[in-house]
Amino acid sequence: MALPISNKKALLEWKLYLFILPSLLLVLTFAYYPAISAIYHSFFRWSGGDAKEFIGLENFRMALSDGVFWSSFVTIGILVIANLFKMIPPILTAVLIHRLKSDVSQYWYRVLLVLPMIVPSLVTLFIWKFFFDPNFGILNNVLNITGIKTLLVHIDKFFHWGVIHEGVPIAWLGEPGLIIPSLIIWGFPWIGAVGVLIFLAGLQSIGTEVYEAAELDGVNSFQKFLYIELPLIMTQVRLNMILMMIGTLQGFGLQFLLLGETGGAGGRGMVPGLWMFNRGFIAGEFGYACALGLFLFVFILILTWINNRYVRVEK
Amino acid sequence: MSESAVTKMPRIKESRDGRDWTKHLLILAILALEFLPFYMMLQISVKDNQTFLTNTWLPSPPNTWLWSNYAHAIGLILPYVANTVVVAVTSTLAGLALALCGAYFFARYRMPFSGILWSALLVLMLLPGVANIVPLFALLKSFDLLNTLWALILLGITGAQVFSIFVFRNFIEEIPRDLFEAAEIDGASHFQQLINVVIPMSGPIIGTLAILQFLGNWNDFLMPLIVLRDPELFTLGVGLIYLDGEYIKQWGQIMAAFFIASVPLIIIFLFTMKLFVRGLSSGALKG
Repeated sequence: MALPISNKKALLEWKLYLFILPSLLLVLTFAYYPAISAIYHSFFRWSGGDAKEFIGLENFRMALSDGVFWSSFVTIGILVIANLFKMIPPILTAVLIHRLKSDVSQYWYRVLLVLPMIVPSLVTLFIWKFFFDPNFGILNNVLNITGIKTLLVHIDKFFHWGVIHEGVPIAWLGEPGLIIPSLIIWGFPWIGAVGVLIFLAGLQSIGTEVYEAAELDGVNSFQKFLYIELPLIMTQVRLNMILMMIGTLQGFGLQFLLLGETGGAGGRGMVPGLWMFNRGFIAGEFGYACALGLFLFVFILILTWINNRYVRVEK
Repeated sequence: MSESAVTKMPRIKESRDGRDWTKHLLILAILALEFLPFYMMLQISVKDNQTFLTNTWLPSPPNTWLWSNYAHAIGLILPYVANTVVVAVTSTLAGLALALCGAYFFARYRMPFSGILWSALLVLMLLPGVANIVPLFALLKSFDLLNTLWALILLGITGAQVFSIFVFRNFIEEIPRDLFEAAEIDGASHFQQLINVVIPMSGPIIGTLAILQFLGNWNDFLMPLIVLRDPELFTLGVGLIYLDGEYIKQWGQIMAAFFIASVPLIIIFLFTMKLFVRGLSSGALKG
């Protein structure tokens, strides 16, 4: 903890304020000022220049009746739920590695997990875009070779989706009905090295004697997971979950890079952040974009609050 | 009860050993999938489209490798890589230096207003950056910073402040106070204490944060996309987007460009792998 200090001594140590000054100035200019400016400009019709016209709550009224904006929240909701499930593979991988008896192999698997990070995530994203390519992409190739394609065609016929056809390459990013599935499949098997390493750090606090005692009691490996391992990494799981939710809600890089600024065919990949970006930088309605950003901010704030209030973890 | 436990013991031990093999296999399968994009990138980068269509999965024999893909890709992407290195290195170094100073302020004494300033910083973690983009664009425009690398560097430094200060503060507070007091008796100023006490003791954490920061800058495409107009100034983020839009035909060249875009990260990782694995595994970033 920082040492308490009397006001008199603090006066003598005034130079310490110089240490925080640069950070403070930067944060005020490039984080606080834009935030306040966003609130201010959401009451204006503004296209980024000096000219603006005060229109009161008109932007907010427009946002509330904006069909695209509302449906973008449905899309992002689906993606958040999918991302919740995508947290399972990293947890299981961490547990798998942790349960290995040999420390040497634990170490090497950890190193191997980190290695793929040498590919910039941006590049990984583009490689996945290539995987989705109907003719060249390897996703269709795999589905053809394994015969899953035929299965998918039958399922498609059964449910009358009309998105996957015999003899025609699957247009992952071109077919409106397949855009959300593509956004979910992306990144399979969904294991980020950072996540796994953080979970592993939490697991390290379990001693071998705990396992031995559990085995004497005839605890099976699923129970071990449920009663020993999961509780120990709950803090990390919760933290990851909050960060993931905030990240997913405000992120739109994935949708932008895979589908473009219109959200792909039929705008099915449109998410709130992308719509805000689209209104601001494509349509030039900066004031309206600010109002959309505020809606998003309030929404994220409420979710964070709910998270803090209800997703509690006993220490 | 104890009887059955004793008789069961050896069998359980055996089955645990046995199960380790399935675990190894599972982990290896997961790793193989994780490496798949990297592998595909490498092996496609020396093929042309025709070879790729006839032989999708296996590398082509070395004597047929198309090095011209790389020659072409280097011309396309090297300027972007150079710009990105300038932005990422500058903003990582400056960002962490300022964050260390800021964290020192919070960690040494409970100065007047430090509580308020601390909350003011932490609130920014909740603030979605996305809502700021539009006014930020207008602000950069009024500073005449649009279409400059300076804009990206300044934003990079700012972006480093909150999280790094948060981590550094916890770290500096763990340093034994005697060390600071001893330095003070020797007449060391706060700045000297930062250089001679804090920095030597926080090597691993500085390294880990630097890598994370660098990775973040390396992968950023949103701000470059909004800020940069001249192709000579493009960083990788924008450059790759343009490449992806223009070259629909030759996948080999694109993959070669992707690989070149990864090379600086590969070099950094070769030197810092241990540090990175240790930094993350120690739970320093648990939060």
